[in-house]
Amino acid sequence: MKFRRETNTNPEKDSGREMREMAEAMSLYRSAMHHIAQKHAAAPFAAPERLAAEAKKRARAHRTRLVLVPALGAALAAAVIGPPIGHLHHEKATIARVVVEPAPVTTVAAVDDTELMNQIDSDLTQDVPDALAPLADLSSQSGSTNQSTEKTNASQK
Amino acid sequence: MEEIAGNELAIEKRDQAVLELADFDEVVRVYRPRILRFLLSSLTDRDAAETLTQECFLKAWNARAQFRGDSSLSTWLTRIAVNLMRDHLRSRSLRFWQKTRGDSLDVMDISDWVPDGRSSPEDITVARHRVAEVWKAVGELSAHQRSVFVLRFVEELELEEIAETLNMNLSTVKSHLYRALAVLRERMGGKE
Repeated sequence: MKFRRETNTNPEKDSGREMREMAEAMSLYRSAMHHIAQKHAAAPFAAPERLAAEAKKRARAHRTRLVLVPALGAALAAAVIGPPIGHLHHEKATIARVVVEPAPVTTVAAVDDTELMNQIDSDLTQDVPDALAPLADLSSQSGSTNQSTEKTNASQK
Repeated sequence: MEEIAGNELAIEKRDQAVLELADFDEVVRVYRPRILRFLLSSLTDRDAAETLTQECFLKAWNARAQFRGDSSLSTWLTRIAVNLMRDHLRSRSLRFWQKTRGDSLDVMDISDWVPDGRSSPEDITVARHRVAEVWKAVGELSAHQRSVFVLRFVEELELEEIAETLNMNLSTVKSHLYRALAVLRERMGGKE
């Protein structure tokens, strides 16, 4: 054993001494522990009835906390996360509206097209502008001369 | 005839234990030092020992209707304390950042302790040093070994009582005690 001195020649005697020392140390330890506990036990101690009542109160408070904390947490989360999500939704809706908005533009364009077509039709049916008037006369004249030459040719035949 | 007498004695003991529990203030007064001592020696943490002592009596108060007197009041209370201590050690081991145990005996606690039969300052100092050595060695024991050691050498219970309190086989108790003593001899002897 580690605490056996090498100079000792009688192991039995040494073991006896060692056991006595151990027993003495443990007796001292017991005495010290009793002293410490006695000293602390002299301090005031709450009555178990009061402790039980306090424990009940604590348990009730704990249960309340158990219910309230998640509810408050959810409310807080809704308050914190809600507005940004609402804002995001609003932005999405705006984008959607922006995307959707070109549709009326296309209908307007379609209306414009028909109007334009009508306008072109009406322009085509309109009289020739003044600046081109001589040309128009000429074409009408040439048309009439062609008709007269056809007539004379037919009579000659 | 002997059997009947034994049964009567057991019933009487049980009734006595139940009756004893009726005056709970007296129960606290009588058993508090013992429970505190056991927890203090086992945990080597004064605050935890005081808290668990209070919890122990609170549990006993709440469960007093269930106490049938099958064991002595002392064994019943110690068993509650052992269970509380196990729960405490388990929860403490989970909180790994917390210091696992007090390394040294609080000087304030034994500064006014004078060992029996020693009057010279030198003797007292030597005795305190020996106590500190045992304290440190006990701290190195496993939880089971420490409980068995404390119940045997501080509370001076019989091995059968220790087995009943800790809900262990007698052979297991003997084995824990043997190992605890071996560790103590090694630790204390190694310093010399």
